Amino acid sequence: MSERTIVLAGAALALVLASAGASAPPGPGARAGTAAEAGVTAVVGARVLTGAGAEYGNGVVLIEGGRIKAVGPAASVPVPAGAEVFDASGRVVTPGLVDSHSHLGLGPSGGVTEDNEMSDPVTPELRIIDSIHPEGEGPDERQFRRALAEGVTAVAARPGSGNVVGGQSAVLKLRGGTVDDMVILFPADMKMALGRKGFYSSKGVMPTTKMGAAYLVRKALVEAAEYGEALERYERRKAGDPKASPPPRDLGKEAMLKVVRREIPVHIHVHSSDDIMTAVRLAEEFGFLRLSLGHAVEAYKVAGELARRGVAVVVGPQMIAYDDQGRLVNLAGYLADKGVRVDIMTDADVVQESFLRCQAAIAVKYGMDPRRALEAITLSPARTLGLEARIGSLEPGKDADLVVFDGDPFDVATRVLAVFIEGRRVYEYEAEAEGGGK
Amino acid sequence: MRAASFAALAAGLALAAVTGAAAPDAGPDKALVIRGGRVVTAAGPEIENGAVLVEGGKIKAVGGADAVAAPPGAEVVDASGRWVLPGLVECLASIGLGERYEAGEGEELSDPVAAGLRLLDALDPFDKRFGQAARAGITTLMVAPGRANVIGAQAVVVKPRGATAEEMALPGPAGVKLTLGEGPKSAFGAKGRLPGTRMGSAFVVRKALLEAAEYARKRRDHQAAVAAAKGKKGAEPPAAPPRRLDLEPLADLLDGRLTAFIECHRADDIQTALRLVDEFRFRAVLVGATEAYKSAGEIARRGIPVVVGVMGVGPKRVETKDVSLGNAAALVAAGVKTAIAAEDALGVGAQEELALSAALAVKGGLDRASALRAVTLTAAEVLGVASRVGSLEPGKDADIVVLDGDPFSYRTRVERVWIDGRPVRMIEPLK
Repeated sequence: MSERTIVLAGAALALVLASAGASAPPGPGARAGTAAEAGVTAVVGARVLTGAGAEYGNGVVLIEGGRIKAVGPAASVPVPAGAEVFDASGRVVTPGLVDSHSHLGLGPSGGVTEDNEMSDPVTPELRIIDSIHPEGEGPDERQFRRALAEGVTAVAARPGSGNVVGGQSAVLKLRGGTVDDMVILFPADMKMALGRKGFYSSKGVMPTTKMGAAYLVRKALVEAAEYGEALERYERRKAGDPKASPPPRDLGKEAMLKVVRREIPVHIHVHSSDDIMTAVRLAEEFGFLRLSLGHAVEAYKVAGELARRGVAVVVGPQMIAYDDQGRLVNLAGYLADKGVRVDIMTDADVVQESFLRCQAAIAVKYGMDPRRALEAITLSPARTLGLEARIGSLEPGKDADLVVFDGDPFDVATRVLAVFIEGRRVYEYEAEAEGGGK
Repeated sequence: MRAASFAALAAGLALAAVTGAAAPDAGPDKALVIRGGRVVTAAGPEIENGAVLVEGGKIKAVGGADAVAAPPGAEVVDASGRWVLPGLVECLASIGLGERYEAGEGEELSDPVAAGLRLLDALDPFDKRFGQAARAGITTLMVAPGRANVIGAQAVVVKPRGATAEEMALPGPAGVKLTLGEGPKSAFGAKGRLPGTRMGSAFVVRKALLEAAEYARKRRDHQAAVAAAKGKKGAEPPAAPPRRLDLEPLADLLDGRLTAFIECHRADDIQTALRLVDEFRFRAVLVGATEAYKSAGEIARRGIPVVVGVMGVGPKRVETKDVSLGNAAALVAAGVKTAIAAEDALGVGAQEELALSAALAVKGGLDRASALRAVTLTAAEVLGVASRVGSLEPGKDADIVVLDGDPFSYRTRVERVWIDGRPVRMIEPLK
């Protein structure tokens, strides 16, 4: 019954969109002003999980101008007259899912990818947006659409971990269009990778050791700092000295300078606990704005150190490990219990982006609190990316990115019925026959 | 008394240490009754409030809780509120062949054809992942070579227990693993060697099988000549043809004594596999088979079983882009015997999440009973070991899993596992 209502509402909205002249998603310009943005949309009747800890059995989400205007129990959030009502009775509504460690649009895992420039181990000058295919790099040309169909609305697309300093990451909303249409934050952070680098080892090029990798990071940061000082010196002198000239432009140092000046945070690929502590050492030495670790399988061994310093760990694609005594370690759940802020990732497409909520469900299976697991694919990654004021939870003032599920979001049998990005319905289950099955 | 039991305990611990986590606890094989709970036999209807009787490592009886009597002295396990299943069967494991991120022992990169090699000679029984598999309820696995060789080493079906490869292996060779598609191309073609193309891989298979057919013919001729010479007085028995270890398993394949497990993902590779089967008439199982749903009728018509790797995760994405959760459902609907494998990838593809793979197939439209069989009885049939494992039936090995809920619920965890009637030592997770 309610499902039919949704379908009808969807059809009505589609008509409104068409009459307003909006192009069909996901074409370029699709996010231009729409009828939905002009008025108020009310999503009613659903169990609303805000991602910020609150949960309303019969909740209302009011959307206006692409943002969340109000959210709360039906009793306290009245639906304004004239609002377009999206009946989600019996459904579950969550914030759009966010993956803070992905390689979406950069090529197939195990094939030729566009995220590792293996000609030099230090490439801070590279910008991941120059590599991303906005629908999915071949052969999977529907990669973005499939991710959206499973409720993923934002991802941090990152350079790979082949290089010690891989380049600048970007945060994209999966709303279609060009890469520039989708980017909401660039540069989002500097991607680095510690540990042994097999490729360079095999060529006898530094780094052939872990300390070699740390040295290359340190060197790049020191050189960027000196470059910054030279720039500042020039700024001070140029008024009084017509012959003063700026240092020659260096794209790599310019990018690294953003790290030194605490304008962007750092995300580091690590696995073993010694490399994790090297990452922490570098962060403290250079005063990183924020440090987040990707994978960090052995983070459980130094959980206290990470919790104390507020270092976030982005867990995945491996969700469980075993310690020396053969005990199963629920990587995300254990770290969360020890006070470490945890995101859960797919590392797409090592695991396909569409399985993000399944990745979180595995953490729940082994004992992670479901609310924290949901937070690990919504608000927590938003924090990692510095976008917590804009995405990651259903709170007034934030982007209206939300997902309508027909049941428990962690249950694989549950389908995504609709996805909204900035108030616009960008995905609908009934409209895409194969969407739920892929 | 106390000292003696301490010594026994110490001995038990030492054994556990020596044989790794994979070893079931040592102890006398006294009778065991698992009573109460929902017994899913995989061979018939589910039994609410059922019971399983185990004696001598074998299943002696399965039935309603009241219908199965516990012999005197039997250990009785209360499984009320639980689900009791046959041990799960993983059709495509690559564990026991070296650490996950190291160069594996499962692929011999000197030649695209490695049929003469036996995985049994590479298997490390002390690989911790066997114990991890056992504690996740997986009690039978086919360990198969990777994707580099066009014709890989001979696969082996094992139980995750024991200190030697021989103890682990179920009798009889499992079969020969073939790989079509990208695997051999990137392993050999990238070095300028054959096969650098898909037709190159097909040629490698065809050439090897033609040689094997010739060898099989000589073998048969020799046997016939021996038989003919037997009755004749003074006749010298004819000389046997020189043994060819590399051709023997392929000759066995052509003589119907072995099965070929052919990994192929794209529809065109599946079609190539079918073409080879048509041409050489051997028993085959398609493995991986990402796009099998596109050729379900063709596969069904030939009666070829399929092992579906549902996820399309891991390093195969270049040729698994068209992965569909509906794959297993489409195959079963077409009448194809279909098993589901987890393949030991990461996260959703980890071997511990085999039941999740089956649950995803249910989401894709497969009925629950078929999905359950796809990771138990059907999987055992596909591996040729269904006379011993795969279901809870009298006479079969007592490989049993007790779950705390519905196997298809994401919250369900494995509580207890028995292999051959012996309990697998469970380990509390790190808190």
